[in-house]
Amino acid sequence: MLYKGRRRVGVVVNGSLIGGLEMKLDEWYSVEDVRAGKFVVIEGEKSRFFCMVTDVRLDTTNPQVLADPPGEEEELMRQVLHGTATYGTVCLRPLLMMDKDESSGEPHLVKTIPVHFSVVCEADEEDVNRIFGSEARHPRYFHIGRPLDMETPICIDLESFIERSNGIFGKTGTGKTFLTRLVLAGLIHKNRAVNLVFDMHSEYGWQATQESGPGQGGFVKGLKQLFGSKVAIFTLDPESARRRGVQSDFTVHIPYNQITVEDIAPLADELNLNPTAVESAYLIVNRYGRDWLSTLLRQEPKDLKDFAADIGAHPESIAALHRKLKRLEKFDFLREQVSEDAVYKIMECLDRGVHVVLEFGQQSSFLCYMLVANILTRRIHDLYVMKTEKYLASGRPQDKPKQLIITIEEAHKFLNPVAARQTIFGTIAREMRKYFVSLLIVDQRPSSIDDEIMSQIGTRITSLLNDEKDINAVLTGVSNASWLRSVLASLDSKQQALLMGHAVPMPVVIRTRDYDPAFYAALGYVEGKELARKAQANIADLFGEG
Amino acid sequence: MYDEEVGEVIGSSNTEFIAESTLLHQSPPFGSFIKVKAREPIYGVVFNAYTHSLEPNRLAIAYHRSEQELRDEQPQIFELLKTKFEAVIIGYESNGSIRHYLPPQPPRLHSFVYVCHPMEVRRLTARFWFLRFLLSVEKAPRDELIAAAIRAAYAVRQGERSFLVQAGKALVKLIGDDYEMLASILHRIQES
Repeated sequence: MLYKGRRRVGVVVNGSLIGGLEMKLDEWYSVEDVRAGKFVVIEGEKSRFFCMVTDVRLDTTNPQVLADPPGEEEELMRQVLHGTATYGTVCLRPLLMMDKDESSGEPHLVKTIPVHFSVVCEADEEDVNRIFGSEARHPRYFHIGRPLDMETPICIDLESFIERSNGIFGKTGTGKTFLTRLVLAGLIHKNRAVNLVFDMHSEYGWQATQESGPGQGGFVKGLKQLFGSKVAIFTLDPESARRRGVQSDFTVHIPYNQITVEDIAPLADELNLNPTAVESAYLIVNRYGRDWLSTLLRQEPKDLKDFAADIGAHPESIAALHRKLKRLEKFDFLREQVSEDAVYKIMECLDRGVHVVLEFGQQSSFLCYMLVANILTRRIHDLYVMKTEKYLASGRPQDKPKQLIITIEEAHKFLNPVAARQTIFGTIAREMRKYFVSLLIVDQRPSSIDDEIMSQIGTRITSLLNDEKDINAVLTGVSNASWLRSVLASLDSKQQALLMGHAVPMPVVIRTRDYDPAFYAALGYVEGKELARKAQANIADLFGEG
Repeated sequence: MYDEEVGEVIGSSNTEFIAESTLLHQSPPFGSFIKVKAREPIYGVVFNAYTHSLEPNRLAIAYHRSEQELRDEQPQIFELLKTKFEAVIIGYESNGSIRHYLPPQPPRLHSFVYVCHPMEVRRLTARFWFLRFLLSVEKAPRDELIAAAIRAAYAVRQGERSFLVQAGKALVKLIGDDYEMLASILHRIQES
């Protein structure tokens, strides 16, 4: 049944601004067609309200019906009771409202509720576009998925997205990597920020396998394949890159003298360091400065006592530190001397607007990942701080640093309450965009991330989470969020996500966009015959028709 | 059959009327729709019919003969019997449209009563207001009466099953708290 050209769902019968609204479902609308997260519009008297379905309930006017339900053969009785004595009640959360008389006006936050018996309809394409924007309307919008039961694209506002640190959360196997790759592709395609991706499992740069969907078991294209020279692949493990047939642009080596005590301190868990280790390390730094680590590692075990006495440290403590840091020596990428500084190389790329994916190859232990991510990020952050200060001093637009987004996986290792105070990532997450650096946090255990940092996250893209603690963590800093709990817990385990926060005007559940040839084409990627034709066209443009 | 009178009003009030049947034992069926012809016709539903002796103090007695034998041997006794029927008023017609409320005046005595034409039944039962009048009847089992009226309305609709569902839904609103009665009515109409 239609109401002003839209499909009717029901009428508002009850509710409050804080508790949400209740709607009696129309009898011709099956309760099974109403899913948590569905997007509906209420036609109020003066305003239109955009709402999300949060709960669905079966109700009856007469408890006797429940005590003596009609049998299977009593078809007429069932039909008669359906929608009259027994009916569906749908709980709605009004999220945005818009005055009816100014149809071009922007939706704003809900300050009131619709009158009794206001008609509830399914949202249509125009509603979705008006709220979430569309790629056609402005390049700042990036199509990330579709509503659960519609084919209209839902977009995130990349302009708002890059202003703050963001998070992608979800249980393992729920498509975090795909979501991340999708978002990164959007950022690169729309050229809104430069990215530095710490790619722990080498999934973003070059091709990766697809775990679900129509192309299951096949390969999907990585960022380098899609964007060519706009993306540079750095690797810590050139052997692994070669085996996988990836052409890396640069092999990262890190000299010992770039490792500071601050880089080691957050690794206390991984290296099994005791609390006095950091103090001992500082004693070495006091004497040897930046060469502290190589000096320590050069010591023979038998000389450690003298070494300790020399710097005034406890011999046992130095011996333990020496023993534990010896593990670092097995990393190939750590060198005494390096010919080219990886940080400057990365900065050079970022300055040119080239996005950097750092692959870890076989070096995918937490220890290695955290160590490298910390060292590089700390120095890049320092350089960004300098650039920002220079920009603030000169005020010239050309000095303005490019917004940098650093993607880290297993983020709870860096951002747990203890580590967040020690790692540079904690600082970046807190000080946000002041220095044009923000984080894209990819994690499956958001409850382990420091609350303070979770509350600063701008946009959260969340796939299915089951653990109550994780759900609570993801909802930290979202006001009045209890209703989102049921939505979060009812997401499908594949290709569904809840978007909320800064980059979307209201929380919404999406089916994520397919990462397939159609998507590649939308990003301007061409191959095969089409590529040859494009090349011909370019040649013709350059040299004229032959 | 719709053009011939079936009875004559011999008693009336604002809510119901009694008519004497034109033919002995030929009252309109229980639950059927009838009308009293007048300038503004009045519609009703038959809820009761009975046959008795003309003289109030004399009861009919059993003769232990078949009806045909009795008619051959003692035809006069049938002249002393009368069939009467009672109907509840469910609305009237004014200016060509049906009003689903009580007429301003009760039906006039000695007006003739006719069986409603199928088209009239359809018009009368297009809305379910008539059910409410049937619920107020106290002299007949209400579930039987309502079921019979719905069956009569269904009969002119060529098996339009959605009518039964709609009627059932209207009933739920009227007698929502009496689930047993609803079940009993639905049981009686779904077999039609």
